[in-house]
Amino acid sequence: MTGGLKVYYVPWRPFLMQNTFPTFYGTFPIIRTILLREKISLVHGHQAFSTLCHETLMHSRTMGYKVVFTDHSLYGFADAGSIHMNKVLQFTLADVTRAICVSHTSKENTVLRSGLPPEKVFVIPNAVDTAMFKPAQVRLGRDEIVIVVISRLVYRKGADLLVEVIPEVCRLYPNLEMRNCQFSCFFTSYQQGYEMVRFFCYLCPLVRYSAMRVRFIVGGDGPKRVRLEEMREKHSLQDRVEMLGAVPHASVRSVLISGHIFLNSSLTEAFCIAILEAASCGLLTVSTRVGGVPEAYDMIVLAEPDPCDMVHAIRKAISILPNIDPQVMHDRMKNLYNWNDVAKRTEIVYNRALKCSDQSLLERLSRYLSCGAWAGKLFCLVMIIDFLIWRLLELLQPAKDIEEVPDVALPCNQRGERIEEIFHWKTE
Amino acid sequence: MGKISMAYIHEGEWPPGTVDIHIVKKSLRKAVSVAILLLPFACIFLSFREISATLILWRLLLSGHFVILLLLLWNPVHKESVVIMPAFGVQLETYYASGRIIRRFIPAGEILKPVLLECVTPVTCYWSLSLLVRGKEELVLVFKELRPPMKMLLPVWKALCASMENKESAVTSGEVEGG
Repeated sequence: MTGGLKVYYVPWRPFLMQNTFPTFYGTFPIIRTILLREKISLVHGHQAFSTLCHETLMHSRTMGYKVVFTDHSLYGFADAGSIHMNKVLQFTLADVTRAICVSHTSKENTVLRSGLPPEKVFVIPNAVDTAMFKPAQVRLGRDEIVIVVISRLVYRKGADLLVEVIPEVCRLYPNLEMRNCQFSCFFTSYQQGYEMVRFFCYLCPLVRYSAMRVRFIVGGDGPKRVRLEEMREKHSLQDRVEMLGAVPHASVRSVLISGHIFLNSSLTEAFCIAILEAASCGLLTVSTRVGGVPEAYDMIVLAEPDPCDMVHAIRKAISILPNIDPQVMHDRMKNLYNWNDVAKRTEIVYNRALKCSDQSLLERLSRYLSCGAWAGKLFCLVMIIDFLIWRLLELLQPAKDIEEVPDVALPCNQRGERIEEIFHWKTE
Repeated sequence: MGKISMAYIHEGEWPPGTVDIHIVKKSLRKAVSVAILLLPFACIFLSFREISATLILWRLLLSGHFVILLLLLWNPVHKESVVIMPAFGVQLETYYASGRIIRRFIPAGEILKPVLLECVTPVTCYWSLSLLVRGKEELVLVFKELRPPMKMLLPVWKALCASMENKESAVTSGEVEGG
C-alpha cells in the first residue's frame, strides 16, 4: 500500500444513485483478491445504502475478518423503502463487530432499526477542515444581509420549505429605499399635520427594522430546483435570490464567505457537516431542529421544520447578527472539531474490534436466526451459500497463489515533504 | 521459477551484448485436462440415435456439439516472449498451441517507458507489464494473453528499463561526439 492509502476503482457499473447492482455474491472474487493481496486486517464499510458496502462486509465476515460499519444517515420506519432498507441493515449489522454513528440521535436510530446492541455502537461526529474553511479576511458590511443556502435541492433537504420561507423573508425585509427618500407633505391644517407626524413616528421603527436589505444565495442542484426557480419568477425575486447551481466542493468556501447567515432546512439530518463548514467560515447558522443538528454546537438558531417558525428564526438571527464575531466562531469550531481527533477515536474502535474473539460459522448463523421468523432463515441460507462460494474460490485460486502487494514507502526530501510520484512518465 | 502452470525462461544474450530474450511458458496440462473432462459429456450426447428438435437443442445447449466446437475453436496460448534488441527495439511474440505465432515489433525510439501496473477487473486484480509508446493513447501490453506473476514480470521490466537507459546514454554520447 502506497503511503498508507490506496484506491481500487472496481469496474462494476453503477445502476442507481451511484450504487452497483446488488448481486449478493458477484463481488466476492474481487473483494477476496483485494483483501488477500493487501494483507487487510479489518474492513470498514460506510453508508447504509451502498450495496457494495453490504456485500463487502458480508464476504469479509465469511472470510473471518473483523468488520466495522459507519452509518451516516437517519432513516424512517414507516415507508416501504425504509422497511426494506432496515431489513438489509439488520442482516449486515447482525454479525458486524462494531458500528460507528455520527451523532447520538443517529446511534439511537441505528440501534432501533437494526437491533444492534447499543454497547457495540460508538459515536464519533464528523469534523470539519478548519484550515480550508476560514472566514473572509474583510468582514462584510451590514447594509445588506446575505443568507446562504448550499444543499442538494431534494425533498429530504427541505427544498420545499425554502420555497415558502424565502418569499416571506423577502417580504418582511423589502428592498425599501426609504432611507434615501425625502418626504414632502403639504398639510391643510395643523390637526392633519399632527396626525401625519404621529403616523410617521409609529412607522419609523418599522422602517428602520425593515430597511435592511436581505438577499439569498442558493447553491446546489436537484429535482426541486425547478420549484425554486418558479418561486423566484412568481414573486419577482430575480434580483434578490441568486441561483448558483451545483457548487464544486472546492468553491463552497468562496460562496459561504459571501454571506452572513447560513440557512439549513433539512427535514432529516444525522449530522450536518455543512453547518460546521458554515460556522467555520464565521456564518451564523439557522437550521431546522431535526436529527443530530442540535448536537453540532450551541450557537445555532434552531427552528421547527415549519415555514413560520423558520421565518421567525431568521428574524432572530438577523437581530443577533451584530453580536457575532466570525473569527471567534471559527476558533470555536477549530477547538471543537478536528479530524485528528476523529482518527484517534476511530483507531480506538478498530482496536476494540480487533480484540474480539473469532467465531465459527455456527455461532454466526445463530445471530442471523434472530433477525426474524422467515428473514432469519433466509439470511442463514445466504450466509451458508456465501461460505460455500468462499470454499470454492479457495479451491480454484488458493490464497497462497494470490501475490501480496509490497508496501511502497514514498521517499521524502530533506525538507520532509512527500514526493508524490514514483513512476514518472517521460515527457518530450 | 514459476507458478504452478507458468515458467519463466531467460535465454540470455545472443550474441552477447545485443539481444535479450525473456520467455513465459504456460503449461497446457490444465487445458488438456479440461478437454478430457468435457469429452465424455460430448460422447454421451452424441450417442443418442433419436433425432428430434428438442433433443438437438438440448445437445447443443448442454454439451455435445457445443463442447466439440469449443474444443476446436479454443486455441490456448503456449508461450509469450519478449526479445529486447537495445539498438533497434522490442519484439513481442505470442505462440499458440496450434502453431500460430503473432509478432509485434516496437522500435526503440517509440518506447517512452516500461511500466508495471495493477489491473483491476470485475473479478480479479493482477500485475501487468506495459509499454508507454509515443503517439499511442493506450498502453501496449508486453504479455497480452498470459498473466505472469510479479516475480516473472520484474526481471523483464528491469531488462526493459536497462535497455532504455543504454539507448539514452548512447544518444547522449552520440550528441557529445557530434557537437
